[in-house]
Amino acid sequence: MRSLVSAELLKLRSTRSAWIPCAAALAIAVVAVIANTSMTGHGGSTHLSPAALPGLLRASGGQIVDGAVLLAWIVLSAGEFRHRTSVTTFLGEPNRLRIVSAKLASAALTGAAVGLLAEALGAATAAAALSAHHVPLVWSQPGVLGAVLAVPLLAALYGMLGVGLGLLLRNTAAALGLALMWAFVVEGIVPALMRQPGTVRWLPEAAANAVLPGASPAATTLSAGVALAVLAGYVAVLAGAGAALTARREIGTTTG
Amino acid sequence: MCTIAVEALTKRYGTVTAVDDLTFELAPGRISGFLGPNGAGKSTTMRLLLGLAKPTSGRATINGRPYRELRDPLRHIGALIDPNVFHPSHSGRTALRIAARPARIPDQRVEEVLHLVGLGSAAHRRAGSYSQGMRQRLALAAALLGDPETLVLDEPANGLDPEGVHWLRGLLRGLAAEGRTVFVSSHLLAELAQTVDDVVIINQGQLVAADSMAELLERTSASSLEDLFLDATSAAARPAHPTSTRARSLS
Repeated sequence: MRSLVSAELLKLRSTRSAWIPCAAALAIAVVAVIANTSMTGHGGSTHLSPAALPGLLRASGGQIVDGAVLLAWIVLSAGEFRHRTSVTTFLGEPNRLRIVSAKLASAALTGAAVGLLAEALGAATAAAALSAHHVPLVWSQPGVLGAVLAVPLLAALYGMLGVGLGLLLRNTAAALGLALMWAFVVEGIVPALMRQPGTVRWLPEAAANAVLPGASPAATTLSAGVALAVLAGYVAVLAGAGAALTARREIGTTTG
Repeated sequence: MCTIAVEALTKRYGTVTAVDDLTFELAPGRISGFLGPNGAGKSTTMRLLLGLAKPTSGRATINGRPYRELRDPLRHIGALIDPNVFHPSHSGRTALRIAARPARIPDQRVEEVLHLVGLGSAAHRRAGSYSQGMRQRLALAAALLGDPETLVLDEPANGLDPEGVHWLRGLLRGLAAEGRTVFVSSHLLAELAQTVDDVVIINQGQLVAADSMAELLERTSASSLEDLFLDATSAAARPAHPTSTRARSLS
């Protein structure tokens, strides 16, 4: 399994359309902290205080990192079929479920690594920005450890969602389109269509926000543990469906 | 020594039967040509052998085991099914390194096969910028990565220039001389006639003939492989009944 994961990570490192979004998310993590600290105290917003640290750490990760890792693994998984590299992949390891497992493990590792790196960069930038404003750094305050743990965990789950979606649809554009449609349209209109605003908390993005401490008002969201289980359920369903279809489908095309 | 055996192999897509009760066996140390008109089922048969598609019935094995049950298959069987199976943004070297990882094949072997197929100086270039012939050489390099006992090559001469075809013929001859099993499909009959020891001819998914080329030419009094092929696959020619041709050893 280690050699398969190594192959998947080499694909990530050598495919620009996959690693550039992750690198961009890391750059945005720094910019987000700078922007937040720069705007604080202007236009009626509150002044910087030690309590701003958890919010800055959330700003450096969260949806940008999740989206980037999701995008990277959609590109890598669906791209296998678009570029027919799936032929080489499944000739090298004919046990297709082992390949899917390696992709999921690699996506989780990528998410965890990018999430941790985003938090590290965010923390360093926040420390510099707060120090520049003579605000004491209180790393032990509530919310700091939660953000540092939740961001990599969520990014790992989103990476696995990307693998599931990519394997299920096998079409990069369709998978990316569906992910964007879900994030910007479906989660917004489902509660309105069902006329039950409470249903939104069971949807992936709302559940992800509930895992990140303080990202959403506690009264309208699930507890972090339940939200994590909900997200893990989405991962299990998508990855399971993708794996089942990958195991059954034929690879490559016939010519004669 | 590795042996390929295809036993009563059948593949149906809905009402279309792509491969129909196909049976043959290939012996090691020989180059076996796989011939048939377009749509005869050659590529489908090769994909079934390589586990890329599942048979409706029957089986195809390498040393008695289906491809999907092989451990580190790249070290047993090398395949060229399609030259366009590399990510266009990856360099030739990276594409091979990715292919080599699952079998824990070292980077040094990647460099060896790149030089063997004549891509050493182009290894850093993106595969998307390669000509058809270069992609074919890259796919052949991927097939050779694991130094396999068996090679399954679907139209390996496509896109190669005359020098490349000459080089390929020498390479295949050399590999067979080392005792490896080489199974190669091609439409270039004149070229194939200079390369192969045995032929398997199929038409409409069914076996038409399977034997050493010399014996087939003698038996049918055909003057060339082209005549033999055209006689065997002409519209009037019906596929041979499986019981009359199946399970012939080509050794």
